[in-house]
Order: sequence, then structure tokens, then C-alpha cells
Amino acid sequence: MRGLWTMVANDLRLRIRDKSVFIFSLIVPLALMGVLNLSFGSFGTDSVELKPAVVVANSGDGGQLGSALLETLDTLPVMEVTIRTVPAGDVSRETKDSGADLGIVLPADFTTAVTAGRPVAVQLVQGDAARMETNVLVSVVDGLLEQFSAGTVTATAGERAGLPHQVLGDLARQTASGTPALSLSEGQAASGQLSLKGSLVAGQAGLFLLFTVGFGVLGLLAEREGGTLARLQSAPVTRGSIVTAKALVGFILGVAATAVLLGVGSLLFGVSFGSPAVVALLVLAVAAAATSLTFIVARLVRTAEQANIAQSILGMVLGIAGGAFFPIQTSGFLAGLMDLNPVAAFIRGLGISAGGGGVADVAVPLVIMLGFAAVAALASRLVPDRGSRG
Amino acid sequence: MTTGLQIQRAEVLGAEGLVKKYGNRTVVEDVSFQIRSGETYGLLGPNGAGKTTIISMVAGLIPADAGSIRIAGEVMAPSSIRARRHFGLVPQELAIYPDLTAKENLRFFGKLQGMGGQELKLRTAEVLELIGLADRAGEQTKKFSGGMKRRLNIGIGLLHRPTLLILDEPTVGVDPQSRNSILESVEVLATEGMAVLYTTHYMEEAERLCNRIAIIDVGRIQAEGTRNELVELTGGVDRIDLRGSGDVASASAALRLLPGVQKVDAGSSGIILTVHNGPGLLAPIVERAGSAGMALTAVEIVRPDLESVFLHLTGKALRD
Repeated sequence: MRGLWTMVANDLRLRIRDKSVFIFSLIVPLALMGVLNLSFGSFGTDSVELKPAVVVANSGDGGQLGSALLETLDTLPVMEVTIRTVPAGDVSRETKDSGADLGIVLPADFTTAVTAGRPVAVQLVQGDAARMETNVLVSVVDGLLEQFSAGTVTATAGERAGLPHQVLGDLARQTASGTPALSLSEGQAASGQLSLKGSLVAGQAGLFLLFTVGFGVLGLLAEREGGTLARLQSAPVTRGSIVTAKALVGFILGVAATAVLLGVGSLLFGVSFGSPAVVALLVLAVAAAATSLTFIVARLVRTAEQANIAQSILGMVLGIAGGAFFPIQTSGFLAGLMDLNPVAAFIRGLGISAGGGGVADVAVPLVIMLGFAAVAALASRLVPDRGSRG
Repeated sequence: MTTGLQIQRAEVLGAEGLVKKYGNRTVVEDVSFQIRSGETYGLLGPNGAGKTTIISMVAGLIPADAGSIRIAGEVMAPSSIRARRHFGLVPQELAIYPDLTAKENLRFFGKLQGMGGQELKLRTAEVLELIGLADRAGEQTKKFSGGMKRRLNIGIGLLHRPTLLILDEPTVGVDPQSRNSILESVEVLATEGMAVLYTTHYMEEAERLCNRIAIIDVGRIQAEGTRNELVELTGGVDRIDLRGSGDVASASAALRLLPGVQKVDAGSSGIILTVHNGPGLLAPIVERAGSAGMALTAVEIVRPDLESVFLHLTGKALRD
């Protein structure tokens, strides 16, 4: 055991002295997190703040639905809207000249036509500098008109069924102005979802973990090329302890780098991954999976250069497939395969943890990562050791 | 009677019937030798003769396909820990960490050998002094010259005072000054009672350092003994090298007929003769070569040495 820890301590000292581990395991992923956050959204927050908007309107309609439409716009909860009323002929010019976001002209028989089931045209004028606010306003008007048209459909259906005109009018008004029987509300998925920033931080941490652990196990190849492996193998330590020392170094570096990336990422980008204990378990499991994977690489390649290339390809494939840059949508067999990706399991586990999940809730991702570690470790014993023949 | 002590004094390394094959190719075949305490044993042979493979089996780096190895009474196998405590290995390739200082390299490998505390501290200082790196102990070895690295490479091997020191071509690529320093260090270690297994393809090194020498070629020991015993194998013949131009072929044919000439090897620029009593035959050889049309530019009588032995045993030069 003493020999094992002597080798671990020496390797850690070499890695720290080499400094490349800091560059590739901390500086590069943190920089990438920053760049991706800038690219995929505003730096400070996930939500978009809408600016105040101006609507230039004319409503010749004295009825209930015309008033309801303008009142709905006036009281939108997502942004502040000011409605300016002008003559119908001035709506278009005024909208463009004043820089308003939207102009609306409601015809005089708007309510009557809707309730009678007759076609009616609403004129919309978009401002010159079409902004996100304009799009929101158009969407809202569009939605309201669809709801009103439901009144038209109801009235038409009632008329064909032979209902009296008085009843038809009441039905149409009720349908057009009432609340829908079905509604959609935003909720949280059962597995928990990370915010955009949380996904990027977790994804980059998972992706670069695959590179970081390589500094340990793949060090065997560097020892072989540097001639020191022969000296280690001639020392009174077992072959197993040499390999175990490298694995431990990769694991320790992986755990430390991932913990630092999640910690610093949380602080810099204002995200939380939930219970530190759960996060710690997830980090330990994904580091074990990544370390085991490098054993296979170490046996299949002959040189450190080949190892770096293989490690980069594996890291990028597993990282991207795991959602390190953006979520991957798949179904069927492929989805099942993707679920076995330790990076995906890690991100999913962090999502559950961020949503308040405990150890029991992250059991599935943990089992996937530890299972991956076990299978990879076993597979590494079965693949031929090409490097030793070099 | 203490058998253990007797074994240690009588035999530090015993290799019996070593065989190593890679696929259908046999690279080491039935190699056996023993080394006693205080003895320097040389494996002399050209590159590719199998010396490093033998060393690798002795050091437990690769398993032998057949045969056995005992070091200080312990059976050596790839999994043997106890046997590994008794030897120090100096690989042919530099085996040091360039990012560590000389002192850190020594301390790391010392700890792997089970050393620690004051013992390791004192021994590290002692070895640094021995290899002439005491004043550079705190420098990263990547700043060292090739010779300094070679000396440190040896220092690591002998740090834990092994019973057996295995040196695999330790002077390859070393400047003459460092080479001499390395050879002197080995001589000192041998006088202190350390057994040394030394591989080289430099005949001069084997002659200078080794009490006994095994001549290796194509994976086999061709002959083994002291320097004088090996030279005796040539039958006490001398070698005469004739250099020159002209009709070398006719000269070769003429010299073959001269009484006392055992063997004639003609090359493009000269002739190598194996003869009895070289000095006595020199005059007729020069006269006959000249008569046959060869214009001599240099003549040299070489008394029997390990090079001659190798040539005698294998029919080729040591550096071929």
C-alpha cells in the first residue's frame, strides 16, 4: 500500500508541476462555459425582459368584444402596453411615424359580426422596427381572434341546429369571451430539468472530465515512452498497484476538477445543483465511469499521442451525445443507448438534484454511471494490450 | 552451517535454461549463467543479440517462456516482490522524470524500494555525491546534459544498496568523460561487493569491467569465461589487417597458400588474415601481397581480444 500511495503522490506532483491539467481541466472548460452562455442567451438571466410597448388603435366597435380585445392588450402581464386611440385613417401613418409597435383597426361591426357568425377583418400594422414586443402583441391578438372565432363557429352550429337568434347570440358571446375549458400550464418534468446555464455548466464539467481523467491512466503510456515504466515494474510493487495508482490519480483529478467546475460555474453563472451530498455522489460516480473508460483507451493505443487523439474523440462523442452543448432528442433504441452515456446520466442526475431530488431520486443515473464503470473496467481486461507490444 | 549466507556469497543470480519466443521467432534460447557476490558479469554481443531480452527476464519485466531465475535465493517471476528487493535496474533508456529534480527522482524511487526517513535522506546525499550531482541536486533533470542524466539513471539503480546491480548498456550515447565516470563507478561498486550484470556491445568495456563474460549472438551464449579463457578459444591466433588498393583478389588468393595462414577474409579495401604467430609471418605476408599486385597503405597486427573471439565464434564482427 505504501508503494501505491508513493506513486499516487508522485503522479499528482508531476501533474501539478506540469500545469497542463489546470489548463485543460479548469481554464478551458470555464472559458467555454462563459462563451456558450454568451452565445445561447443573456449572461445574467435565463428569462427575457420585454420592454414597454405602444399600440395605436381605432375601434369603431362599440360592442363587448372590441373593448375586450383592447383591454386584454392593455393589461398584459408580461409587458407594459400603452394604447393610443386615433382615427381609423391615421392608424397606419401614426404607427410608423411614432415608432409604435403595433397598429390595430377594429371595424365598427366587429362584435356584431363575430356574434352573428359573419366574417370580419381586423387590420394590423406592424411598426417599422419590428421588435420582439411587436411579435408578442401580434401573437396575443392572434390568440384572441381565434378565441372569438370559436364564438362564430358556435353560433353557426347553433343556427344549423335551429336554435332561436336570441339564444345564438348569448352562446356566441359566451364562447368568445369565456375562459377556455382546457388550459395549459407550465410545470416541472418528473426527472427534473436544468436551466440553460445549469445545463451548460454541468455539460462542460462532464465533457472535460473525460479529458481530465486521461492525465491519470494515460500516464502509463507516458511512463512507457519515458522509460520509467520499466523502472517501476522492476521495483518491489505489484503490477496491479502501478495501474491502480494511475487510476486513482485520474479519479482524484477528475473528482477535483469536476467539483471545482461545478462550484465555480455555480458562482459565476448563478445556478444551483441542489444538495451538495447528492452532487458529490454524482461526481464520484461519473469520475469512476470516465476513469474506467480510459483503461480501454490505454490498452488499445501504442503511444501517448494516439491516446490523446482517442481520448479527445471519445470525450467529444460522449460529451455531445450526453448533451454537453445542447440537448439531444432521440427515440427508440437510440434513446435507450443514449441513456447509458455517463455524461448524459450525470447531467440528468444534476437536473434531478437541482430540482430538489435526494439520493433515492438519483439512483437511476448513479446505477448507470457505476454500471458503465464496471463494464468498462471489465472490457479493458478483455481487449488486447497493444501498447505493451510496442 | 548457515545455508542462506552461503547461497548469497556463492550465487547472487542464477539463470537456468532461459527461453523467450515472440511468435515463431526464438529471441533467447537456453541461456544459463550465474553471478556471484562482488563479481561483474558481462553479456557481450552486437545489437539485437538478445541481451536486453535476457535483462528484461532477469528483472521480471517480461516472463520467460522456459527456464528459471533466482536472485539472492528468491525465485524471480513477474509477480515476485521479494526478489525485486535484491536488485537495482539501470535500463538502457533513461528512466528518470524530467520534471523532478535529481533529489526528488532519487527519493521517489528510494521510497518505492521501501526506504524512508533518515536512511533515505542520508543515502540520497551519498548517492548524489557518488554520481557527482550533489551540487545540482535541486535542479529539474530536464536541464541536465545527457551524461548527467545517465549518471542519475545509474544512481537510482544503486540507491537502495542492491545485492545485484543490472546495467543495460549504460554508456550508449554518452560522452567519453561521462563514460569513464560511469565505468569507474561500476568498478567501485564491484570492489564494495556488489554483483553486477553488465550488458554492452563495447568490447573495451567488457574487457575493463567484467570478471567473466558471456558472448551472446542470435539469442544464445556462444562462449563464457574470463577474458583470458575466451581468448584461448581462438587457439592463440593473431589477426593481421592489410589495408590498401590494387588487386586485392589476387593477393587474397596468394596469401591463402602461405603456410601459417588459417583464414583470409577479403573486403573492398583490404584483407583480414587469421594467422599463427603474426609477427613472424608479417614479412612474407607483405612481400606476397605486394607481388600479387596489392599496394599496401597500412598493416596492423591485432593480438587476440574479445573482438577476435567473437569473429572466431560467429564469423562476423562484433559491431556488424
